[in-house]
Amino acid sequence: MAWNPTVKLGTLLVASGAVLLVTDPVTPVVLWLLATGAALLLGRVPAGTLLRAQLALVAFAGSVFSSNLLLRHDGDVLAVVGPVEVTSGALAVATSFAARTLYLGTVSVLLVVTTDPARLMVSLHQHARVPATTSYAVLAAHRVLELLPAEWEAIRSAQAVRDPRRAAGAPLPRSPRALGTAVFALLVAAVRRAERTAIALESRGLGSGPRTTAHKVPLRAGDVVAAAAVLGVVAGVLLAGWWGGWLSGPAALTA
Amino acid sequence: MHPTDVDRTPETPETPEPAETPDARRDHGTPGDRPVPALRARRPRPGLHDTVLLAVLAVVFGFVFWVADQVYGPLLLALGPFGGFADAVLGGAWIVVAPLALFILRRPGAGLLAEVLAAGVELVVFGSPFGPMVLVSGLVQGAGAELAFALTRYRRWGWGTFALSGVTAAAVTYAYQTFANGYLGQDLYLLRFAVLVVSCVLLSGLAARALGLALLRTGVLDNYPVGRAR
Repeated sequence: MAWNPTVKLGTLLVASGAVLLVTDPVTPVVLWLLATGAALLLGRVPAGTLLRAQLALVAFAGSVFSSNLLLRHDGDVLAVVGPVEVTSGALAVATSFAARTLYLGTVSVLLVVTTDPARLMVSLHQHARVPATTSYAVLAAHRVLELLPAEWEAIRSAQAVRDPRRAAGAPLPRSPRALGTAVFALLVAAVRRAERTAIALESRGLGSGPRTTAHKVPLRAGDVVAAAAVLGVVAGVLLAGWWGGWLSGPAALTA
Repeated sequence: MHPTDVDRTPETPETPEPAETPDARRDHGTPGDRPVPALRARRPRPGLHDTVLLAVLAVVFGFVFWVADQVYGPLLLALGPFGGFADAVLGGAWIVVAPLALFILRRPGAGLLAEVLAAGVELVVFGSPFGPMVLVSGLVQGAGAELAFALTRYRRWGWGTFALSGVTAAAVTYAYQTFANGYLGQDLYLLRFAVLVVSCVLLSGLAARALGLALLRTGVLDNYPVGRAR
């Protein structure tokens, strides 16, 4: 997706924040369906990726649903499960929050699949006035992250080879203690690499004045139009609920 | 220590508390035994080293948060209707980078920035089940953890301050979650808050200081404010 990453991040943040105060079941379900459609058609997220992400989100949504269903009491009693009464108000709020979880997760998948982290940092520097030192530092840190798996293998092998009781060819130790020391060594290695990276960036003149950008990320009128369209759709869903009478806010939680 | 020792800070405006184990400092073999003075002398911008370390911590802990997300899902399922407790039990694990960054960099705003960056990495690089609002959570959690250090005017770095940081982080986070996750009107509201406070004190405040001290002993932090303060 060629949508400017800064504008995209800001738009999706507002679009996600919009449901925070919504407690009726209809609005988040509609938004979830719209987000799924947008991910498939506009974001060109592969259907398999989206499906797998949704399945992973079902655990979250299911837990949010059951805890709200059983820990709330409001409205007519619909059923009695053991010592707990399931009420209509609780069912509405539980459905709403479960659908909200699915909606937020879908937006998150859309963001991860369609956003190149490097392009986002360049764009944040260009368009959101994030200082050059910060954006370069994050980009460099992202590279450090890519090197950590190799570092992890090296640390694990090195620790195993120094263990005198280990038989040759035995698998790497998997005890919590062995893994814990390896994790700590990895953190130490990351901090060390941070210092080397800082020296390298400094020797390339970072932090000594204004910077130019080689591969600029464009910010066009279309980006803003797309943001307005997305926010317009979200506002439309909320307004429809208001006019239709099914939108409800946090007042429903304590009613 | 007790939270009230915060009030006594104005009388003791001097340096942070003495380091615990100066002898154990180099027993892990730091690369090179004399790079420190040269490096210190020629740093024109004290900000860059700190910023890069902040970013690396954010990226590493963004990954840790993502791992916590993966533990969180099964824990939610296992706890069933009491899934809200999974939030409370693991709550501190998502806040550990803020006090750690403050421990190392001792700079106002470091905790807040580290937490927001880590949330951003969790969101953009790994994918977060909480959606883009995780940036707001990061802001709130970072602010909560940093509050304790602001109250002591960034002058006290003992166990007490870090424990207090866990308490403030829990209080601010729970206030936000009450608003954002709609906890209002649920049963067991205060009990969950108590669990979250314990989690934040142990997994966020005290764990961050323990981790920071362990890092300090290896010598990798010698060029950062915490190492120079010793």
